[in-house]
Amino acid sequence: MTLISQETTARLLLRLVLLGAPVLALLAARPEELPHGWFVALTLVLSIGFAAMPESPLGTACLGLVVFWWALAASDGVPVGAIPAALFLLAAHVAALLLSYGPPALPVGRALLGRWLRRSLGVAASAPLVWLVAVVVDDQPEPPGIWISGMACAVVVCIVAATAVTPLPEQPE
Amino acid sequence: MTSRWRPTPALARAVVVGAVAVVAAVVGAAPAVMVLGAPFILVACFGLLHRPDTTPVLDAELDQRWLHEGQGTTSRLLIRHAEDVEHVARAMAPTPYVALHPPTGLVAGLADDLPTLEVGPRRWGKRVLGEEQVCLTTPWAGYRWGPVTVHGDAVRVLPQTRGFDSRSETPRPVGLVGVNRSPRLGAGIEFADIRPFRPGDRLRRISWRVSVRSRELHVTTSPAEEDSGVLLVVDALGDHGQSGGLEGAASSLDQSVRAAAAVADHHIRSGDRVGLRIVGGEGGLLGYGGGIRHLRALFDLLAGVRPGELPEGIVKRLQLRVTGGSVVFVFSPMLGPAIVTATASLVQRGLPVVVVDTLPPDASPRVPDGVDPRLVDLAWRMRRLERDQVLAGLAGLGCPVIAWRGAGTLDDVLRRLARRATVPQVASR
Repeated sequence: MTLISQETTARLLLRLVLLGAPVLALLAARPEELPHGWFVALTLVLSIGFAAMPESPLGTACLGLVVFWWALAASDGVPVGAIPAALFLLAAHVAALLLSYGPPALPVGRALLGRWLRRSLGVAASAPLVWLVAVVVDDQPEPPGIWISGMACAVVVCIVAATAVTPLPEQPE
Repeated sequence: MTSRWRPTPALARAVVVGAVAVVAAVVGAAPAVMVLGAPFILVACFGLLHRPDTTPVLDAELDQRWLHEGQGTTSRLLIRHAEDVEHVARAMAPTPYVALHPPTGLVAGLADDLPTLEVGPRRWGKRVLGEEQVCLTTPWAGYRWGPVTVHGDAVRVLPQTRGFDSRSETPRPVGLVGVNRSPRLGAGIEFADIRPFRPGDRLRRISWRVSVRSRELHVTTSPAEEDSGVLLVVDALGDHGQSGGLEGAASSLDQSVRAAAAVADHHIRSGDRVGLRIVGGEGGLLGYGGGIRHLRALFDLLAGVRPGELPEGIVKRLQLRVTGGSVVFVFSPMLGPAIVTATASLVQRGLPVVVVDTLPPDASPRVPDGVDPRLVDLAWRMRRLERDQVLAGLAGLGCPVIAWRGAGTLDDVLRRLARRATVPQVASR
């Protein structure tokens, strides 16, 4: 309660986004493809942890779980619900990022908020573009070697991921 | 101390979620997942593109290092090699008797408009600001430097001088030039008398109206205007009562230092020569002098006052070394025998001495562990009774004892001392 009382309104709103956005990303699917109640509950529990500790790995687990469910649910076709789901996930990511710029009681600056709103809008535009491309290529016959290229791409992404999360060498201050 | 750029949890999350989306899309043949992963891949790519290669150097600086109580200054962060920095967050630890704005000590901002902290000391003395934790972040929140500890800057806080003004003259001016009326006649501007002309009188002092009427040359006379020597004695043998800063309660040492500063400020601006003697603690002595530079030195000495007992050898033979013709102000709670004896000996020498009683009415001693508080209370009451006797004794010797009330505190006392200075006295030696 003490932590909540120290929070500014902007930070509380960002935590609310963290709490609701992953679950909404799940529920953005078509009604017949909605996940089981226990899956939603698990996501909700993870998002509560994410909202409380925006820098914890719980956030990665929460968002990864939603992506994983979408991989299972949307294996046939490209549902339009993927676009709002992508936007909800991005909103949760950016909200957590804004909350982690400093100690818990640090207010979120107006300039920083504006900058990330612009960035988010730019980045979010990629979701409908990719959806359009996916819709276009969905009915086309698979070109030869597409899966090998896909696997190579995935390996490159994993290498980049491993490099990115490795700390830079220590430098004298 | 070393630090390094580290990937932020946000970058790790974007990379992992993006990678999971790509792998899941490829393995699960689900292109819809790429729609979810695309924004994360972009955020991760932008974060990685701003991978830093510089080593920032941090330092915090105050706009002013000399302040009066209640004044404020700004603490600014200096960053060298800040090419990779987009966002800066600062968290300053609280410091006793220093007000921060914002009160949490937390500020953040973009690197092109570095966040500043406003600092306002609330008590005189040397204040070292609390340590600061500074955290730097690259564009797209990809990498973070710190939090790094930046040591707090020191600020010299001079006592407040507001609230004191006196219209009375200083008794016994014996200097050269000043604003106080001297008992001697001289080249002043105030009218004193009219007397017959004597050889050596200046022609411009001839009163033509009286001379015509009396058919004999007469001149007007005026008292000389001279400066005066003022010695301020600050008792730092102990600090009694609680200090709550400028707006809060004042301890005995707070009262002494602020009152001494106010009196010094008033007299130096009036053209008098002021000296300062600190009794107790690390001591301190500043000879008579005038001018703003001397006032600054005086404030500096006052700001460095720390309470402490005198060495055993000095207690019995404490001498304030006051030259004749000076006015002595003793700012003291009058609880130490040494300062009482020294003050009484000055009074007996016939010097004009004013004791400013600085003991707060609600002062009470700290109760040591394991001691009955009732016993401490009883001892304190007895001590105060003794003090009342001492003050009555000093008053009986002709030394006024007054409590500090700010403006006008000394007016009545100084007027009476000035009147007394004009009559012949027998000084006991």
